[in-house]
Amino acid sequence: MRFIIVGGAAATAHGSARLTQDLDIVYDRSPENLARLVRALTPHQPYLRGAPPGLPFHLDVATLLRGLNFTLTSKLGDVDLFGEIAGGGGYANLEPHAISIELFGVRCLCLGLDKLIEVKRAAGRPKDLEVIAELVAIREGRA
Amino acid sequence: MPARVEEETDPVIRAYLAGVDRTLLRKNAALSVEERFLQLMELQRLAAELRSAVRLDPTA
Repeated sequence: MRFIIVGGAAATAHGSARLTQDLDIVYDRSPENLARLVRALTPHQPYLRGAPPGLPFHLDVATLLRGLNFTLTSKLGDVDLFGEIAGGGGYANLEPHAISIELFGVRCLCLGLDKLIEVKRAAGRPKDLEVIAELVAIREGRA
Repeated sequence: MPARVEEETDPVIRAYLAGVDRTLLRKNAALSVEERFLQLMELQRLAAELRSAVRLDPTA
């Protein structure tokens, strides 16, 4: 499955001390990858986060093709699927800025620190200012 | 102006930088990526327990 970890989980990978509650990923929207994503998530009962129960939501390739960004809850926890993010674009735009990490025996991509700071800035949310400062401190610590 | 220089000179970011707890960052820098995620998962469990304790005791 082709995806890049972004957001708070990516910050954790880089050494952030902040608590994040969800997993944000930017996913490749090629049809074969959408099918892989559906196969990976379906056993964990993905559902629209914050939506009333009982809606006829079904995560399948057609649903993913009709939308772009999805905020989901699942038996594993909350997962946000982004087709694109502000300041970063989609999977193909972000892949050159991603680093490979190993998590629990699986190699996956995580957005690199410089790009993570850039997209946090582009998001323009006041709550991200503290996060950006922490990421800048992490970068300073590496220098 | 390149993005990196912008962040380093942005007075708002500089102001927030003063409040960053670098002791935690140094501790995390010594961990592997997987250990950082295990630590996060422990913290999430703790947060969930605290939330549930508050729900059980409405006076808390």
